[in-house]
Order: sequence, then structure tokens, then C-alpha cells
Amino acid sequence: MKKILLLTILLSNMLFASLNVNTTYQTLGEVAKKIGGELVKVNVLASAKYDPHFIVPKPSLLSKLRRADLLIINGAGLEIGWLPPLIRSANNAKIQVGAQGFLDMSHFIPMIDVPTSVSRGFGDVHAQGNPHYSTDPYMIPIMAKVIEAKLSALDISNEAYYKANLENFLKEWDAYLQKLNTKMLSCKDKKLIEYHELFNYFLSRYEYKSYGNIEPLPGIAPSSKHTLELIHTLKSNKIKIILQDVYHEKKSALFIAKKADASAIILPHEVGAVKEADTLENFYNTIAKRICR
Amino acid sequence: MKKFISLSLLTFTSLFADAELESIKEQLEQQQYNTQQLESKIARLEQKSTNTSASFSQNAYLPDIAMILNMSALSRNVKNSDYENYAIPGFIDAGDAELPFNKERGFNFNYAEVAMRSTVDPYFDAFAIFHIAPDGLEIEEAYVQTRALPFGLLIKAGKMKSNFGRINSKHQHSWQFDSQPIIYESLFGPDSISDAGIQLQWVAPTDTYLMAGVEALQGTNDKSFGDLEKNNLYITYIKSSIDIGDDLSILGGVSLAHGKNTTQNSTDVYGLDLTLREQLGSYSSLIWQSEFLQRNKDISTTTDKQAGLYSELIYQYNNNYSAGFRYDRITKNEADLSNYAVDTNNLLRYTAKLEYKPFPMSRLRLEYTNDKTKVIAGERKDINEVMLTLNIAAGAHGAHDY
Repeated sequence: MKKILLLTILLSNMLFASLNVNTTYQTLGEVAKKIGGELVKVNVLASAKYDPHFIVPKPSLLSKLRRADLLIINGAGLEIGWLPPLIRSANNAKIQVGAQGFLDMSHFIPMIDVPTSVSRGFGDVHAQGNPHYSTDPYMIPIMAKVIEAKLSALDISNEAYYKANLENFLKEWDAYLQKLNTKMLSCKDKKLIEYHELFNYFLSRYEYKSYGNIEPLPGIAPSSKHTLELIHTLKSNKIKIILQDVYHEKKSALFIAKKADASAIILPHEVGAVKEADTLENFYNTIAKRICR
Repeated sequence: MKKFISLSLLTFTSLFADAELESIKEQLEQQQYNTQQLESKIARLEQKSTNTSASFSQNAYLPDIAMILNMSALSRNVKNSDYENYAIPGFIDAGDAELPFNKERGFNFNYAEVAMRSTVDPYFDAFAIFHIAPDGLEIEEAYVQTRALPFGLLIKAGKMKSNFGRINSKHQHSWQFDSQPIIYESLFGPDSISDAGIQLQWVAPTDTYLMAGVEALQGTNDKSFGDLEKNNLYITYIKSSIDIGDDLSILGGVSLAHGKNTTQNSTDVYGLDLTLREQLGSYSSLIWQSEFLQRNKDISTTTDKQAGLYSELIYQYNNNYSAGFRYDRITKNEADLSNYAVDTNNLLRYTAKLEYKPFPMSRLRLEYTNDKTKVIAGERKDINEVMLTLNIAAGAHGAHDY
């Protein structure tokens, strides 16, 4: 029995992917697929339809982590509420913090919104800065390069393959960015508000200005007083765009939109968060298409 | 910048002859080269950050420290002096009940806990929780666990809550109700199975989650075990989980505890648990959790066979509000009940709760209990209780598991 098991494991290793990569979120997973190609099997832990801060630590995730050769996390505190107990109970030495197979992508990202002082009195603030960097398409090449370096280090015999994938992908992505930038040049209305500070990286990349958030503090549900103040802000600054994500309640945004004669737009925060955002390019295309006016 | 250059380039070409173009191109290249030089110089300077920390400071290595406070306001239709001497026929005799939580009518301050977690080195994590109650300090848990064992193995050693069953390993502040399930209280008391010892767990390398564990513990819990001549308690369990779609997850487990009781005879406890969790959104879910426990306790020539279950349904409406209902019942009570001159059948309890969490770190909970499991001053009595509890978990409090 054991021999058969061993043999099947061996055979399947030869036939299929050699590295088992887990990523916490979908966008990271898509980049890993581009670089890893056929040599890598990518498992994404969190479903993109849920709030990335509040993923249920289902035991099924343990069986994924148990077999991972590499775990790539978003970092900057985004997984703090669900991932640490899973890493502790997955009994996989390879993906422990500090091990070769653990990669915190935020360590390579120029963070924005880094708070000068941190207290939970300000709500659910991330001390390391805003963790939602994957909304900026310019972060994709950074992720790709970091993932290439990591895969090459773990699987040195296939270094050339990963390098070639990276070069191809960077070229493709550069061309795509030119197209996206041209598209974004046509956007005139640059004033908006958000529900949560989920799109700040995209907004600062394309010179949008956010005038506030529907939640009064990060992670705190909207209050009527704050909502009324927001409506006033929208009216007095002639703001017409309200950015809503797929997972928060939509009543507040619709109410504000109605009162201030603005429109609430649902943006994907991650590949796969809405139907059209099914690939990396379509993710940013969807954001561009919906935000641009 | 680029635009400006190309624009000026354009103007220049139209104004001057082609010969000029070459020299301008040269200039441009020179400028680009200069810019590059400057940029790399900036990058080099930015990298060269100097160490400004105090010479022997170890602050970066401090453990994660959390403070947990738990308190309540309570009303009950039984006097405090009668309540603390309650009996649960066949399990707890009058005067033997331990009541660390929410004992008094009026106000209770239950505990302040200090929880610490730290990665010791590449090989071990350490965790400790110091439970400080008005009547003293207790090491609730303090253990080291491995982080680098091969083959999906994990070893834990120290004082720990056993992974027997579903709720046993959870701390009071993370229970769905402030009171313990009756069958757990009856068989193990308020600390459940918690002892010094060693644990070995294995996670199978399969698509479906499968975990098996064995534990060897001291067995100091004298409600079920307690033969202290040597370590007497051995526990084993197997747990598995499947997902149906993105939203429904099911976790089930079978557990067995075998030990020696204070009469130096065997005690066996069997446990079955099942949890279903349907995610209705990011912040909304429906959880149905049930456990059944049976204890066979040998006492000289006879064997007490006792069993019970609880089943609870929790509806999480959003990040802030949730409601829940729990049903507790003793299903089998084959033990010496001759001390009780009252009807000892139908030992059951209903508990309902409404919960408000202004933020994930704080929780207000209103709990109503109708308890028909207790004998008070020789009489079966329906206990009605309304309780408002406040729990906070401040500081670096780690996430709870599933």
C-alpha cells in the first residue's frame, strides 16, 4: 500500500507540476501562474468574493497548506486575522515564517498610507501601511520579479524556464500598461470617495483624489452622522463617483449616491472579484472601464 | 518631462536644419545618462539606512502580548448561597461544583488574562496564557510546539487544553456562549481536559483535510480521571473536513480518552462532534455545532454509563450582530442516584444569546438560560438567568482558529 502510494506520488510528480505554490489571494496567484507556467501548481486560499481581511480559516485550507512548497502572502497585516493559526496547524515546515518557502510580498512593495502613529482607537489601521497594493497595475512587475527569484531559488534546475517566462511576461505587461495608460488619459473626472481605502494605490497611480470613506474609521460600520457629512462633502465638491467593493453592504453607497446625485460603482479589488475581472489584464481593464468618465 | 522634451525637439527640428538634430540628440542622450546616474545615486543613498536602535535593545523580540478581560452583570431566580451548592444528579454532588465564571447575582469580574505568543527559534513556538481570577492566578496553558518537523508532524509539550472533541481546546472567551456545555461541565469541570503532557499530531498529505492525534497527559482531572500514582490519561482523535462549494464547510471528529479514575479503575470517554458552517457573505454566516460525549467509568464492581450532548445554532448577521441558541441534554445517566429523592430524568437546558460587537476586539453579549439540570437544596429547580457579559481582547491578540 505504502509503495503504491509512494509510486503514485512519484509518478504524478514527474508528469505534472514540480512545485506546489499557495497564494493567499487571487492576483498573486495569477502572477505566480505566469511565471511558474506548467511547472507550478497554484492554489489560491481566499475566495475573491470575500473581504480579504476576514477569510474563514476553514480546515480545508490546512490540507492545501500542508502540501505547499511555497506560500506567498500579501502581507502588511492583511492576513493577520486568519492565516497565522492555519500556518501553525498545517504542520508544514517549508512554509513557516522565516523558512525558504515563505514569501511576504509586501516586503518588496513601496507602501503608501503608512501611519505615523498606530492605535486601535483609529480603527483597524495597518501599522505597515495600506496593504491593498495589488490594485496598482505597476505592482505586477515587482511581484513577477520577486516570484521569479523565489521559484528559481527553490527549483534551481528550472531557473532558465522561469527567467524566460518572466521576460516574456514583463514585455507583455509593459505593452499592456501603455494601453491602459492611454485609456486612463481619457478619464476626466478625478474626484471620488471610497467605502474602505481599498483602491488608494490605483487612485494615486492615476492621480485621482479621494475625499473620504464611507466607513468612518477602517473596519468600523458607517454611522449616520458621518454619512451626512459625506453627502455634504460630495455636494460641495461636486463629486460624482463613489467606489464600492463587492463584499461590503451597498445600502450606504446607494443612499449617498441618491442624496448627492452621484453614482456608486462596484470595483473588483482582486482578480476574480467580479465576473469580467477573470484575468490580470481584465482585472485592471474592469477597474479602468468602470471608474473612467 | 518627456513630453516637454519631445515638444521642444519638434520645435527645434522645424526651426533649424537637420544638422542641428544630431547635436540635440547627443545632448538629450547625455541628459538621459545624467538622470540615470542621479537616480542610481539616490537609490544607493536610500539603501544606506543607518542603525539607530539602542545598542542592546531587544524590543523587536518581545512576544505578542494580549490582555483579555471578562465581566458580567447577572440576574437569577436562585439565591447565591443556594446556587453555589447546586448538584447535577449523577455528575456533581452538592457543594462540589466549581464556579469560576458568573457565579454571583449582581456583578461578576471573572478574569483578566495575559496571553503571550512568541517564536522561540526556527524550531519552536511558545504560547502561554495566565488566567488571573479574583481567587488567584492559574497557568491556563503554557506549551511549546514544534515548527520544523517533517512528514506533517507536530509535537506540543507543556500544560495544554486537549484537542479532544470540538470545544475542549477553546478558551472561555472564544466560546459561543459564556456557560460551558452541560456535558463538559459534568464530565470534566470548568477547565475541561487540560493537563500537563505531550501531544503528537499528524496532518495527512491529502486533498481532504485529515488530522490524527495522540496525547499522553497527567490525568489530574478527578471528575473523570485523577489516579495520581502516575500519568494515567491517553487521548486519541481523528478529524476530517470537507467543503461543499465556496460557502459550506463541514468538520467532524471522533475522540477517545482513556484514563484511570480516583478508584484506580478505568474511565473511557467517547466523543463525536460535527460542525457545519455556511458562509452567507463576508461577515454573515450560519454555524451549527454539536457534540455528543459518553463516559464509561468503572467503580469497583460497577460501571457508570453516562452521556450527553449539546447542539448550538449561531446566526452571524453582520460584523456587529449575532444571535444563537443552544440545547443541552443529559441523554444517559446510569449511575448511583440513590442520594436523590427527586426525579432525575430530563436533565436539560436551553440557552439563547444576542451579541453585539462594536469592533472585533470587544463584545457585549446578552444571554438567557433556562436550566433544568440542577438540584438545589434537595429540590429540582428551574433556574432562570439573564446575563450581560462584556469581553475585550486588547493588544496583540492572535486570530482564533476555525
